[in-house]
Amino acid sequence: MIELDGLTKRFGPVAAVDDLSFTVRPGRVTGFLGPNGAGKTTTMRLILGLDIPTSGTALVGGRRYRQLIRPLRQVGSLLDATAVHGARTAHDHLLSVAVSNGIRRSRIPEVLELTGLGSVASKRIREFSLGMKQRLGIAAALLGEPPVLMFDEPVNGLDADGVRWIRRLLRHLAADGRTVLVSSHLMGEMALTADHLIVIGRGRLLADLPTQSLTGSSARADVLVRSPRASELADLLTARGAAVTAEDDGGMAVTGMDAAAIADLAAAHGIAVHELAPRQPSLEQAYLDLTADSADYRAAATAARAEAGP
Amino acid sequence: MTAVASSAAEPVTPSLAARARDVLAFEWVKLRSVRSNCVTLLVAAIATIGSTAVVAYTVGHAPTPPPGGAFTALTVSFLGYAEYGVIPVSVLAVLQFTSEYSTGLIRTTFAAVPRRWAVLAGKAAVTGAAALVAGEVLAFACFFLTQAMLSGRHRGVSLAQPGVPGAVLAGGVVLCACALTGLGAGAVIRHTPGAIAATLVAIYGLAGACLVLPAPWKGYAGRFTMPFAASQVVALHRQPGLFSPAVSMVVIAAWPAAALLAAGLAVTRRDA
Repeated sequence: MIELDGLTKRFGPVAAVDDLSFTVRPGRVTGFLGPNGAGKTTTMRLILGLDIPTSGTALVGGRRYRQLIRPLRQVGSLLDATAVHGARTAHDHLLSVAVSNGIRRSRIPEVLELTGLGSVASKRIREFSLGMKQRLGIAAALLGEPPVLMFDEPVNGLDADGVRWIRRLLRHLAADGRTVLVSSHLMGEMALTADHLIVIGRGRLLADLPTQSLTGSSARADVLVRSPRASELADLLTARGAAVTAEDDGGMAVTGMDAAAIADLAAAHGIAVHELAPRQPSLEQAYLDLTADSADYRAAATAARAEAGP
Repeated sequence: MTAVASSAAEPVTPSLAARARDVLAFEWVKLRSVRSNCVTLLVAAIATIGSTAVVAYTVGHAPTPPPGGAFTALTVSFLGYAEYGVIPVSVLAVLQFTSEYSTGLIRTTFAAVPRRWAVLAGKAAVTGAAALVAGEVLAFACFFLTQAMLSGRHRGVSLAQPGVPGAVLAGGVVLCACALTGLGAGAVIRHTPGAIAATLVAIYGLAGACLVLPAPWKGYAGRFTMPFAASQVVALHRQPGLFSPAVSMVVIAAWPAAALLAAGLAVTRRDA
């Protein structure tokens, strides 16, 4: 369990993390979402005691990270996969991490196998691709079999197989009863992996809710209809209380009536239907709506800085 | 959750000694697993021995024996050591922190050992011990090599002579002191080039500046620098104008102590 209470980090006048309070619970994958620069990485650094908060607290298993004894047995984390010494072999890197927390050495081949790095254990890390470094970082996080895991943008640099692998791994870790916090700026990825979402923008909490309710709560669900006799069908639909909006490509977006009712209505009047597709509002759209303000602010601020610059 | 937590958590809190062992093992594995560290030490040893042999040959074949003062049959043993041994080992020590800051590995280190003074202590212990061993090996190697070459010319001194073993031992300690000064500078400055420059200024630059001062000031200021103090502790006879060998030893210890103190304040207070 990770508990944040009023966590704030200021760099000069800028609040990178602004009065953030939330709880990450065990047994599920929690997605930590926000646009680039929203404060996700800073929040994780504060949880790990790497940065010192301006105010507020971050507790892991009820304690501040800096007070943990042999912390890698409590919290496994991957912040930056490239933050390794290229001259070391993968095995030696993991060995140093293991001995630092009194973790048995037999865990090293286990995590190497688990992350698919068994055959490159004695290779220098500088020869690794970004994807292999991500796997190595995940191997290091898993060394201490910690009940809490935290990954910052773990799918960066992974190929399609790697992305599927990490998705399964995260779900498996959560099913084990572990607390899993995964950050991403990609909604689509989190939609497939996370059970619960925490969305931040400009360092502030925007949403803390189950993944499904981000779409369920939205009024955007509709049905896409294409028909050669579209205007006729549209009249019939509106007559029965549905709302019809013409789309640019000739289709109609229908709300207020489900696909079955639309099909029955069209059949009853002998109108051919070429396409009939119920559409969930995309999580992507819901996420963009949520973060629009903070992203706009960021774009405007960047533009202003660029103008003010030399 | 509870099942996972209890299986992973320690049944008992490990003792302070066990945790100290963890940190020492951590730093030791990191030091020995970078091949360039070992190569640097090897090159330093070869350069030191080689330059020492050249100095010994030159002194042995000079028309007159060493004149005395700071320049005796004993102290010429350390002329090669003082630069070819000290510079690479000090740079190696600087890198123990700066290479972790430049790669970002320092965040892995602080996540593994969140008590940062323990990281500093662990690095100081491991790097200091490695430098001390290297220093003593090199100091004795340089001494025996030089004296073997000089004794053929009847100019050498023996290890059996009073004061000689202490002087050679002190020579090894100086290398450790220089390394720890570099380690501290690396932690404070974090960038490799800046930290190396600062370390070399502290070890050599200040003494070099003192050398060009007029007569009384040269010694007044110079005796606080590492090379002046080192020349006193490796000499058999006390040199005028400098601190006593004992106080010079304190000067030699004060440089790394100050660097490590500054490092302790820096690493515990700054964001990683």
